[in-house]
Amino acid sequence: MMYKLLNKGREESLECILRINDNDTLTVIVCNEEVPEYQEYLKWLEEGNTPLPADGGTVIDNGGTE
Amino acid sequence: MAISKIPSAGFQDNVKFRNIIINGDMSIAQRGTSASSLTGGANSYDTCDRWIFTRSYAGTWTQSQSTDVPTGQGFAKSLKMDCTTADASLFTGDYLKINQLIEGQNLQYLKKGTANAESMAVSFWVKSNKTGTYICEILDNDNSRSISKSYTISSASTWEKKIIDIPADTTGALDNDNNTSLLLTFWLAGGTDYTSGTLQTDWGSLTSSKRAVGQVNLADNTANEWYITGVQLEAGTTASDFEFLPVDVNQQRCFRYYYRINADHNYQKYAHGFATSTTLQYMFCNFPVEMRAAPSTLDLNTLSLYTIWDGVSTRTVSSISYDASGKFFTSLAVVGSGYIDTRSGILQSSGNTSTYIGWGAEL
Repeated sequence: MMYKLLNKGREESLECILRINDNDTLTVIVCNEEVPEYQEYLKWLEEGNTPLPADGGTVIDNGGTE
Repeated sequence: MAISKIPSAGFQDNVKFRNIIINGDMSIAQRGTSASSLTGGANSYDTCDRWIFTRSYAGTWTQSQSTDVPTGQGFAKSLKMDCTTADASLFTGDYLKINQLIEGQNLQYLKKGTANAESMAVSFWVKSNKTGTYICEILDNDNSRSISKSYTISSASTWEKKIIDIPADTTGALDNDNNTSLLLTFWLAGGTDYTSGTLQTDWGSLTSSKRAVGQVNLADNTANEWYITGVQLEAGTTASDFEFLPVDVNQQRCFRYYYRINADHNYQKYAHGFATSTTLQYMFCNFPVEMRAAPSTLDLNTLSLYTIWDGVSTRTVSSISYDASGKFFTSLAVVGSGYIDTRSGILQSSGNTSTYIGWGAEL
């Protein structure tokens, strides 16, 4: 299992992390401390692990105005 | 035809939705029918919906939705746990548990924490090659209280029906919200942290050492397996017959916590939207029911199996993430290349039936 940082689509988009599972399937996890899967990620970080970097900049596009 | 008398048991059996447990017959398994290499310390929903496998370093397991069921009882599926790597010497804090987490707002009629609190009855069918004592526990997550009852698997590899009475608890009201208030737990193994005391057979403050006293170690041999189906938790002093629900009703109840679209043809459509640049699309999808909460996880297969079709051509997908998440809809941010700004598109399977998207709002 590994984690990878994800870009936000726009500034208002939810901040998420990508979990790459052992069978190569993927789980996108919302970065919210109440979410058990995100708590597991934080524990994984505390154990000294480092996620893979995101593919590019932090915000890709402002998405216009809703 | 005149009805002279309605037997009390028959009347109770006619109370709809009396089973607090969702998917007690193990008939719904959106995530798949088998999951292997379940090990280490983790909590995971693997096969049968609503049933979470919580574990801490007690062997390696394959969980499956099985067709091995008690004969003549109306069940078609069971949940099976199969030990593939044994751990005959548990450390003090090791454990294995199959649980269902229950929302507080579905439990208010139990009137827990009041003088009028209801008793409960747990009933289920179980089978294992490993005979002996097992523990069924109900834990009050709002008030840190619990009660544990033992049951005995008497005959190896034989389906047995078990009924457990749970007395009323006049202490500790359950929160009326969409968070976990009660956990129904079937212990499969527990280290001495959970077994060194005296089993807490009446409601009391949660004490680790009293939770699973006497529990056999199902992880002690790779020949071990354990099956369960027909799980029912209901108010009252007696257990009624299992309440079978139509598959669509059962499925809709599961959707509240996890909704998954599995490709049933090569170009399964998942969501539609539009591009806002040459590399970014926003894709929208409505849920068939109101989710328990805004989904916080999104399950995907390998991204190369997905594509964007914009009516002219198919475009690559290199990343999918949440843009926004709500109880009724989702907005996904899809990153790729070759997109045409403002052109609409559809997120779909790229010529295979291996894709899926699963939105998680589990407890």
